This record gives sequence, C-alpha cells and structure tokens, in this order.
Amino acid sequence: MTAITRTALQIRIEAFTFHGEGTPVLSSASVSVTPGSLTAVLGGSGSGKSTLGKLMAGWLRAGHAGAFRGSLELDGTLLEFRGAPDDPRINPAEWSRRVAFVPQDPAAMLSSVRATVAEELAFGLENRATPRDDMLRAVGRTAARIGLSDLLDRDPATLSGGELRRLAVGCAVIAEPDILILDEPLASLDAAGAAQVEDLVRSLRGTGTGVVLLSQAADRLAGEATHWTVLDGGTVTAAGTPAQLSGSAELERAGVIGVRGPGILGPPVSGPAVSGPGVLGPGVTAGARGPGPVPVAAPGPGPAALELHGVGFGYGQDPRRPGTATQARVLRDVDFAVQRGEIIAVTGPNGAGKSTLLRHFNGLLRPSAGDVRVCGRSIAGVPVGTVAASIGLLFQHPRDQLFERTVLREAAFGLRQLFGKAEAEGKARAALAAVGLSGTGEVHPAELSASQQRLLALATVLAREPAVLALDEPTVGLDRHGLEALQAAVVRAAARGAAVVMVTHDLAYARMNAHRVLELTDGRLSEI
Amino acid sequence: MKPRLHPFTALTAAASAAVVTTAAAYWPLSVAMALAAVFLAVRRGVAGRVLPAAAVILTPLCLSLLVLHGLFFPEGQTVLARWGPARVTAEGLGFALELGTRTTACVLVFLLFSFAVSVPDLVSALAGRGIPPQFGFVLASTLTLLPAVAVRLDRIRQAQETRGMVVRRGLLSRLGALRLQMVPLVLALIDDAGSRAQALDARGFGSPGPRTSYREVADPPGQRRFRTAALLFATAAVAGRIVASWPAGVPS
Repeated sequence: MTAITRTALQIRIEAFTFHGEGTPVLSSASVSVTPGSLTAVLGGSGSGKSTLGKLMAGWLRAGHAGAFRGSLELDGTLLEFRGAPDDPRINPAEWSRRVAFVPQDPAAMLSSVRATVAEELAFGLENRATPRDDMLRAVGRTAARIGLSDLLDRDPATLSGGELRRLAVGCAVIAEPDILILDEPLASLDAAGAAQVEDLVRSLRGTGTGVVLLSQAADRLAGEATHWTVLDGGTVTAAGTPAQLSGSAELERAGVIGVRGPGILGPPVSGPAVSGPGVLGPGVTAGARGPGPVPVAAPGPGPAALELHGVGFGYGQDPRRPGTATQARVLRDVDFAVQRGEIIAVTGPNGAGKSTLLRHFNGLLRPSAGDVRVCGRSIAGVPVGTVAASIGLLFQHPRDQLFERTVLREAAFGLRQLFGKAEAEGKARAALAAVGLSGTGEVHPAELSASQQRLLALATVLAREPAVLALDEPTVGLDRHGLEALQAAVVRAAARGAAVVMVTHDLAYARMNAHRVLELTDGRLSEI
Repeated sequence: MKPRLHPFTALTAAASAAVVTTAAAYWPLSVAMALAAVFLAVRRGVAGRVLPAAAVILTPLCLSLLVLHGLFFPEGQTVLARWGPARVTAEGLGFALELGTRTTACVLVFLLFSFAVSVPDLVSALAGRGIPPQFGFVLASTLTLLPAVAVRLDRIRQAQETRGMVVRRGLLSRLGALRLQMVPLVLALIDDAGSRAQALDARGFGSPGPRTSYREVADPPGQRRFRTAALLFATAAVAGRIVASWPAGVPS
C-alpha cells in the first residue's frame, strides 16, 4: 500500500461553540489520522472527546449544530470553516461513507425499526440503493468480521452489551470507511467482550482503516495506539507517542484513568477506600482481600443489613417478543448476607445476572424461591417504595435513574418523606457536594457529561442515607476525578454503618476496594 | 411455522371485511364478523392485546350509541319505556344494536390486523411499492411506539419507586404515579429521538434517491388472486348496497 504515511483525515479546530452557548467547547485542538493507524484521544469526562469525534465524523455539522472555525481535510480535500453562512456544507451520509462514527451508547446507532441483526447491518446499504446481492455479501462479510455470523436472525433488542457494541461497529464499517471513530468502545464490556472489540480494531487496521479511539482510560487498547492526544477542557494539552506521554502530568490533570482500567489505580490516587484501618471502623482490613471473613464496622450482634436466603429467579418468556425462548434460571439458591459497614463486590461476566441480583434487594424483582430480608425483616409483599427507605439502588445506566428537570430536584426527589421538608433540600445539597456536583443545581441532568450523570445518580442514592447501598457498575464512565468521588462516598457510607454491595465486571477494582469479592456464575454466588 | 400472510393480503382482507360488513348493514353478519376476528386473534395469540384495546375504544362508543339512539330516536314508534322527554323505543334500540355491532366488527378487524401484522414485512412491502421509506419508518415507529413507551414508563416508574415512591393497587394511586411520569417520559422520548436522528442521517436515511430492500417478503400468486377477489367482492357489496337502497334514498 502506498498511502501508509499519507494523512487520510485531519481536523484543526480554532473554536467550536454550540449554538446558544457563550464559550467554545473545543478550541486549539487538532488531530490527524493516517491509514491503518490507531490514534487515541484521551481525556476526562466532559473534556470534549465526543464532540470532537462527532465533528470529525460529520455527526455535528458546522453551522447546523454550532459555530465552527477551523478546517477538515479528507484525503487531500481541504474544507475551511470560518463560522460564516457561506461555509462549506457536509452531507452526513456521504461523509460517513468515508468517516464512520460509533457513539458511546451503541443502541443510539441502530435504526430501531429493523427486525434482525442482518437487516440492521443492511440498513445503511439499503439507503444507498445497494443491489440486494451485494448487500447479502456485505452483510455476510461484515458479520464474520464482527463475530455475529451466528446471530444474524436475532432481534437486535435481545443482544447483550458486547454483541450490541459489535453490531454498532458493524453498522459503521459495512460501507468500508477509510476512518472509524470509536467513542468509549470498551465501556461496560467484560473481559471477553473487550477482547473481541480489540481484535476487531486490529483486524480493521490490518486492512488499512485508520481508527480513532476516544477514551478516558489509557487502557490496553489505547496502549496499542500509534499516537496519543490528550484533551483537557476542550483543548489539546499534550500529543505524542504512548511512551512519551504515559505517566505525564497532562494525563494526570486531564483525569485519565491509569494504564489497565480503574481497578489498578494505585493507592495515592484511589482515594480513602484503601487508606487503612480506622476509616472503616475498628478491625477492618481496608481495601484488600483479607484471609477469611473481614470483621465489620457494625457494633453488636444485630441483624445483617441484607440477607438472601435460597433465592432463585428466572425470567419468563417476554410477552412482547413471542417466539423468544424462556431463559434459563438466572439465580439459583443464592444465600448471602452483608453486615453493616461491609463493602462487598459482586463480579461475573456480562449477562451473568448481576443486575438481576441487585434488583432483588429492593423488590424491583421478586424471587421465585427464597426470601430477601433487609435489616432483619422480610420484604416479601412490601412495596418497592417502602423498601427504598432502607435500600438505595444505583442503576447500571444513569439515564434510567434520572428523570427530573434540574440536578437539585433530582437529588431531592423523595427526600421529604424521609427527612421532612426542612431538611430535604439540605440533604440533597450535601449529597451533591459529596460527589463534586455543587454549583450544578439548576442544570438539566441531560446536559451533564456521562461521568457527571453517573455521579448525580449516585448522589440521589447517597442523599437517602440508606442502610444498604446497591451499586450497579458504579465505575463505568467515570474518569479519575469521578472515581475518587465514588470511592470517597463509598467509604463514608460504610463508615456510618451502611452496607455496600457493588456489582462490577472489573475484578481488579473489586479486589482493591471491597472487603469480600463474590463471583456470580451459573446463577450461584461464590467467594473468590 | 405458520404460513405467513403478505401484509397487503392481511390489509386487503381486513379492509374488505370492514367494507362488506358496513355495506351489508345486517347485525347478525356484524356479530359473526366480530366473533371471527376474536377467534383469529385468539389463534394468532394476540387476543391479550386486541381485546383490551378494543374494550378501551368500544365501551364508551357503544354506551354513547345506546344512550343517544336508545333513549332519543325520533322515528321510534314502539315505546318500551318513557322518562319525560326520553323514550326507549324498540326501533332506537335496534338502530343502536345495528350501529354498535357494525362498529365493533370494523374496530376488531383493524385491531387484529395492526397487532398481527409483521411490521418489518409491512415496511418492506411498502418500500417495495415505491412508498417513501420515511413513511414506512414513521409507520413502523408508530406501531412500535406503544411498546417503547411502555418500556420507558416502566423504567421511570422503577427509578421513582427506588427513591421512595409507593405505587399501590388503587386507580387513584396509579393515576397519581402516572402524572409524575409524564414529563420525564416525553423528555426521554425527545432525547432518544434527537440522538437517533444523527445516526439515521449518517446512515443515509435522509438522502433522496432510490433504495433497495434487504428483506424479501414472499407474495405467492394465490395471495395476489385472493386480494383481487376480496377487492372485487367488497366493490360488489358496495354496489349492491347502493342499488338496493337507491329507491328508498329518493325523498318521496
């Protein structure tokens, strides 16, 4: 190939400002991509990575979405933008044939009106009037490439997180673009799912596709990059090879997570969760796997904060999806207890039933066998809203948790019943301060960055001061600053006597931050 | 696997059944048609959705027919009961029965079609006939909107319950909860639509020009012949009706 060193795409941004906003979200930034290369744009939450990616991919168009001053150069064709009405216009459909983008939420990539994986893959080709025989070949080829050949007849809505991510990538690459931009492609994937995406990126690079990785973690995939660009506050603060930049002050300041995901954050940056005995109460071996059961902070022999006795559960056939098979049992005879002040991590692969387990704690799901007891009392027949006084549940997706008009209203929802009118607002503000969201009280939750949305969801749980905190994948999407806030909050909650159960696919993180680590496999919990 | 009906065949059958029932204006036929629709709904496994939807539409409609024509039917001669200006007449009740059964048959037939049709097949068939894909998308989105709204509402309810909202069994409690869920629901749907629009644009959905279809919907000759016959039969029924009522329609 003769074009190995040729620049395929280059963006140079003087400033990009969304309509209706005073300050630019991106300024003084440039990124260039060569065929077959992997360029990692690293930055914390809210640093402007997604905006940069969407601008490069034509998802955000100059003039249409905001005022853009700078230039885009694709394969030798230079487009100059001055923020004026006569600026060149990008046809998103044509542009995306050459420069494809996969958003952070892979479901947003899908048309949502196609019945099978194969039809979803073909959607973009249909719109370009590709002859049917060519489509059949392209779908077969792409499915093999993304490892979904066996799932071509499945309804996209029934795919797991990892499968959905690969389908979204498949939809982007089926038209064989020169450049592929991936926004946080490994978020919420387990090790197997992440390895599949990494293999896919390698195979695409092997055929000459230039890949841009937008990530807040300097993880294994980013480690394979030929070039790193550090984005902080919408500006490029450093650029160079991974060897030049790893461990640099710019990465640290930007809030980028360490080399192998959040789990291997060293004690200096991981917050007080591992800061030693005393924080969690007397006798607690903080942060590490101790030999045998870890003593807990709660004094006296009172009942466990949460107990599951012989809990079994299986999803029935989905009435909205006739034809789908009844799923196997997700939980089998689960017995476990969490003491006050104890931090427990539950790990397991995607789809193992970790979220299903958490939803049993407050009664959102009811066991088909066995019993759930909170603070010594069975919750059978007790409404979820009543159990909520003792159990705070952080959902896996913050979007599922947030529904109010402002950040403050969100944090204050339901607090009056618990603390009375006088105290409710104070509790809400304190919870927001605890996760570093003071000063955003009047902002709409949807306007927060992904990391801030998760922290806001956490604040809504913390504000209720429940006896048990059940956190579903709390680290996903958090940059280093967010992780520190999370860890501090968890430790504080445990110190006041709350039991904490967090579900995470990140074993290293679990080992570092929990007293006990349990694994959920085949519906059963076992200590590891 | 059951042999699949081409969506146009199902649509033609539903439309013809409605036209013939209306043209015949004969309540035993309407009742038979309604029962046939219920039978088919049970066989297709969609009765659980068709019947509640039909009840929501038909209950107020039939009640209003009964009140309007049962109590106030000026042409009525055979008075069965009388309260002041309101008279229950046999003719009025007969008219209400006629109109009620006819409407019930039509509503059931079309609900059966919309719940039983394969939406992807319908969209693909429409695109194959040169209907703009945007129309097909809107149609598909509309038909899939209800399940999507139900899923989203369920999530919002779970989020609110998790933060202490207690939903009890009573209607008032449920209505109160629903009121709290409406604004978040609309905002969430708008947000979804916004993020999907960019992806649809990038995947060429907004581009003008011809399109092709990956999905192939089989249209056997037998079904095509059936459609022609059904349309002819419906036309004949309308023509027969006009001819039959022509002299009566001329004011004397």
